[in-house]
Amino acid sequence: MYKLSAKNVSLVFPLYGNKPAPDQLPTNKKDSKQQRLIKNTSGAIIGVKALTEVNLDLSGGNRLGIMGANGSGKTTLLQVLAGILTPDAGTLTVRGHRSNLISIGLGLRPQATGRRNIFLSALAAGHSKDDILEKKADIESFSELGEFLEMPVSTYSAGMRMRLSFAIATAFDPQILILDEWLSAGDAQFKQLASKRMNNFVGSAGILVFASHNPALLKSNCNLGLWMKDGQPEALGAIDDVMAEYQKFNGT
Amino acid sequence: MPKLETFPPAHRWPGQRFVSDISAGFLAHQIWRNFAWEEILSRYHRSALGLLWIVFGYAFFVGGIAFFFGGFAKMGLGSFTIYVAIGYACFQFLVANVVDGCAVFTGSASWIRSTTLPYSIYVYKSIFRSLLPIALQLIVVAIAMLYWQPPLKWNIIFVIPAFAIFLINAVAIQYLCGLIAARYRDVTHLVGTITRILIFTTPILWVREERTGVIGLVADLNPLTHYIEIFRAPLMGDDIRTISWFVVAGFTVFVWLAAALAADRMQRRLAFWV
Repeated sequence: MYKLSAKNVSLVFPLYGNKPAPDQLPTNKKDSKQQRLIKNTSGAIIGVKALTEVNLDLSGGNRLGIMGANGSGKTTLLQVLAGILTPDAGTLTVRGHRSNLISIGLGLRPQATGRRNIFLSALAAGHSKDDILEKKADIESFSELGEFLEMPVSTYSAGMRMRLSFAIATAFDPQILILDEWLSAGDAQFKQLASKRMNNFVGSAGILVFASHNPALLKSNCNLGLWMKDGQPEALGAIDDVMAEYQKFNGT
Repeated sequence: MPKLETFPPAHRWPGQRFVSDISAGFLAHQIWRNFAWEEILSRYHRSALGLLWIVFGYAFFVGGIAFFFGGFAKMGLGSFTIYVAIGYACFQFLVANVVDGCAVFTGSASWIRSTTLPYSIYVYKSIFRSLLPIALQLIVVAIAMLYWQPPLKWNIIFVIPAFAIFLINAVAIQYLCGLIAARYRDVTHLVGTITRILIFTTPILWVREERTGVIGLVADLNPLTHYIEIFRAPLMGDDIRTISWFVVAGFTVFVWLAAALAADRMQRRLAFWV
């Protein structure tokens, strides 16, 4: 059974070269954002508490949707779960190969053609040459880029890059797939195709972690919900319950 | 079923992070070979002569140096041309390790922030890419050697261990410079400043054996002198000085230890710095 769990994960995002602004006025107002900044004795900002004591336990078939305001730690949490960032405290326990699509178009070579990029990205994701050759046709057809695959990626629109990246990341029967918001950059038809593809593989006991601001996308792709607030989990449970709570808080 | 893994992995002995990263990256050679090749292709994209520019450019450069500086050297024009051609190719390769090393991680920032590949992959990629210019420059050396026929000896086989030492050093130097330059951005500028001086203090455009006093001493204090000589001397039919082997061996151990220590302390934070 695939597994992805986080135990007491905390992370401070270090910041460098920030001098205290000379015109900064002393303030008594304490909003939540201010408490997340870590300052040294001279008042310069040296870090941001990006995640505080996050606990999660996902197993095969779980599809977690993460929601929360901008700057609430969603992407940082995804990066930690994907293994890109190492937390300052806490541990991750993982069973299964993790694929992530956190930054759209990152990892594509602009000068190389779409077809060559399929090969390079899949290599970088840890797949063997034989596996790639086997899945090549599937990736090419799912991306629906057709003859544009002969063109350098630098000529692609954001949506086309996303199609290519998504096709590559999902082609190899991902065991654990970690996705950030950007799926909403696709057109309606692509969103439908993508949802279908994600459902297919999660049906085969994979784990999905998906951050989005789009309630409909979250509801159609996830069965669990996590509401992140100021770097901490505010609510975790069935997607409909968490979504209702989150929307009530936002007054929508 | 894949096995259960815990992150961050247990850290049992100093240098463990570095060793596991270096070995995991090396095994993923398909990735760094392909990416290095991709970068070479894109660098010479839309250029009609492409890689031949390296050969022509180098032949032209060496010929020009031999013409202008040959008169200052006591050795004959043929020997001096070969001397410059080998010395400068080695110098460029070795210095490029430091210069490229400073950018090895910052230049791959988008990859470091989006994949979980071992960091050493970027180092191997960078070294693999820099093998191409030196290989093409050595063609110019080979042509010059065929033309002037320097008196070679059995010790020419030393060029093989010498070049292997270049590569072994390259891994640690690029890794170390990459980590330090990602954290302290001034290092890149400092390196640029130093390399400008090194071109004069390293015996490439002048012959060390012909100089005595301060200049000879400066050359001997410069580790680059010894690195270049273990490769150049056997190709010129000269003996390699024992002190050169000692300096090179000592320096190699030093950079590997420094890289391991730096990786232990800094590697975990790299994704924040790039």
